[in-house]
Amino acid sequence: MKSSCTLLLLAAGVALAQVPYQRIVGADSNPGSWVTYSGNYQAQRFSGLDQINRQNVSQLKLTWVYQMQNSGIVETSPIVSDGVMYLTEPPSTATALDLRTGRPLWTYTPKIPSDVIIIGSPPVNRGMAILDNTVFFGTVNCHLIALDAKSGVVRWDTKVDENQKGYYITSAPLAIDGKIIVGTSGAETGIRGFIDAFDAKTGKRLWRTWTVPGPGDPGYQSWGGESWKHGGGSTWLTGSYDPQLHLVYWGTGNPAPDWNDDSRPGDNLYTCSLLALDPDTGKIKWHFQFTPHDVHDWDSTEIPVLFDATVNGRARKVVSMANRNGFYYVLDRQTGEFLTAVPYIKQTWTDGLDAKGRPFARRDADPKVNGTLVYPDITGGANWWSPTYSPKTGLFYQAAREIAGIYYKGDAEYKDGTAYTGGGGERKTGDDAFGAIRALEATTGKQRWEFRLITPPLAGLLSTAGGLVFGGAEEGNFFALDADSGKLLWELQLGAAIRANPMSFAIDGKQQVAISSGASLFVFGLP
Amino acid sequence: MKRFSPAVYNLVLILILAWPLAAQDSAALAKGKQLFLGMCSRCHGITGGGGEGPNLNRPVLERAPDDKTLLAVIRDGIPNTGMPRVRRMTDSELNSLVIFVRSLGKVEAADVSGNPANGRAVYAKLGCSGCHTVAGEGGDFGPELTNIGAFRAPDYLRQAIVDPAAALPKGIRAVPGRGFNEYLPVRVVMRDGQEVRGIRLNEDSFTIQVRDMSGQLHSFRKTDLQALDKEIGQSLMPNYSAKVSGSDLDDLVAYLWTLRGAK
Repeated sequence: MKSSCTLLLLAAGVALAQVPYQRIVGADSNPGSWVTYSGNYQAQRFSGLDQINRQNVSQLKLTWVYQMQNSGIVETSPIVSDGVMYLTEPPSTATALDLRTGRPLWTYTPKIPSDVIIIGSPPVNRGMAILDNTVFFGTVNCHLIALDAKSGVVRWDTKVDENQKGYYITSAPLAIDGKIIVGTSGAETGIRGFIDAFDAKTGKRLWRTWTVPGPGDPGYQSWGGESWKHGGGSTWLTGSYDPQLHLVYWGTGNPAPDWNDDSRPGDNLYTCSLLALDPDTGKIKWHFQFTPHDVHDWDSTEIPVLFDATVNGRARKVVSMANRNGFYYVLDRQTGEFLTAVPYIKQTWTDGLDAKGRPFARRDADPKVNGTLVYPDITGGANWWSPTYSPKTGLFYQAAREIAGIYYKGDAEYKDGTAYTGGGGERKTGDDAFGAIRALEATTGKQRWEFRLITPPLAGLLSTAGGLVFGGAEEGNFFALDADSGKLLWELQLGAAIRANPMSFAIDGKQQVAISSGASLFVFGLP
Repeated sequence: MKRFSPAVYNLVLILILAWPLAAQDSAALAKGKQLFLGMCSRCHGITGGGGEGPNLNRPVLERAPDDKTLLAVIRDGIPNTGMPRVRRMTDSELNSLVIFVRSLGKVEAADVSGNPANGRAVYAKLGCSGCHTVAGEGGDFGPELTNIGAFRAPDYLRQAIVDPAAALPKGIRAVPGRGFNEYLPVRVVMRDGQEVRGIRLNEDSFTIQVRDMSGQLHSFRKTDLQALDKEIGQSLMPNYSAKVSGSDLDDLVAYLWTLRGAK
């Protein structure tokens, strides 16, 4: 009798869990919520809601605004479930808002040491993960923190790695069944990159997979001397997951030092790669290296987007990525087989790719002490901001940058917790540079349409079942395009640069679209 | 046994002590020069004589009176000016650049031969103040010149007079954005065929703000326009090469070169 009571209570406890794993797996069937960084495990950033559509998008009105507590660049992508929005604020604050009103329900800021080391990006945070009754976020001093979703109370706080060596976290973790997977920043200080998995209940590490192999590991020969020890390969953006194949897809960053390759002859595996990992063990099932021996800081941490399609007459499960190096890649996600790649922006660093997708990199595009002009710039054609894939149009949409950079080679001296970049890059901003929202046929990369922007963008995209693509501009314009044609349907000036990803959800059954601009998060809906 | 005199002894000691230091300095100087040519010379000139950026052939740099400040300026740039942080550098790279930039201060500044007092008269005669302000006086269609001598070199000033389109200032502020052409001439054709020509004040992907030749502000949504020509490579400032030359031009350049703002 007693044991059946316990069972009943346990069952009730499970039933009451706010976002069980299966709910994330089935995210597409509950489009009023947004329960993982990119909306679903396939990282499509597509909303199944269609109330806001081509006909009525021009009537969008402000629902509410939330102003961040701290200044700083806001790159957060909110999570929405059960009447609450969970967002992060720069540099490492977690906040829960009442979804109807935008009023804060709780907020938590961990103590960040004053000597925190953040080299390689601004001190941003891109969002949280949610699993059962807990939310998870990373901090600039490289902790992973679990908070009770209802109260913000700390469940656990785990040091992922040593910030004084340059490790820090900016990206949202990925929550899968019982595990929290997290990557790190820090290649600009010469960290050795990794992907970690933690037990969601306890915060104990389950496995670590180094992105730079050590002595005896496959790929170790692709480094010279001791260079692997500080080889970079950070993992600073949220990956995607295929629950059927049970594989996690995660991009890796640049080798270190970024622009001075004297110490690291070879391909420098697994930097600038996509890794397919077994989430139970962390074992690398396959890898694909986009830019062997990168010398331009073109991390391949961009969002790996999963979809199923017929490619060259054959049904395929694919993963695609608009890479920072300027190429759009399509790979078979079961095997890692290269299917196709095409440039989606102007690039001058390679004379194309071979049949297996390996670039014929031009050595005259390497950084020099007096500078080398190369397309794209160090930010690249794509970067941290999300693309979107619409299953309705079969198009992959990317906010693309058309801009050159001057790449300088400089000294590289390794010292714990200091910059280990060996040079740098200068962006050729101005009237010659521009940006575009580009719609690519997802299986071929062929451009279907583009919408021009006068400045290379730093903001992501959302596509919706209402036939829309939402995006943001450096000058502060939030806009909606027709997903089929790229025609401008609506635009509003929000007053500060947009450097965030749009997302969509519903309040009391009414569709909303959210975007951050400056230090504010705006939510729009129909009147 | 003959002893060295104290003077000779001291000299030898100084040479021994100074030798490695000098070698180190000359290595740093060479390295600083290499870095300067790569990253700085496009604006400051190959020998530091300036151009689009200030002349560095001066014993005292107002923005960087001591080495510590100079190092910070090179490391971080100067906000809201044309001086960017070009790239991240190691301490040794920064120190080499400081040593080299200091050496440029010992180079004699290029001779500006003109007579500034006469240049001021030329400035008045040509009617420059119709469009430019100096110390609160003058028009506002073109850039203010109150401080122009502090951040442009004589050659650049001369070019701005005889070939203004080749010396259109690049944006250094948030409006319209770093690297964008400032005072860019644009021609706007509305749906009804009406035309407006003026300079771009600001622009985003959806709108543009223009000031016409009479000073009137126009604001357009791009979807309402038939045509928008950005006349990149052109300037609304007339080319003065036919109106001023010889010693008058030298004098005008010399006058502008003296404009260093309020002390």
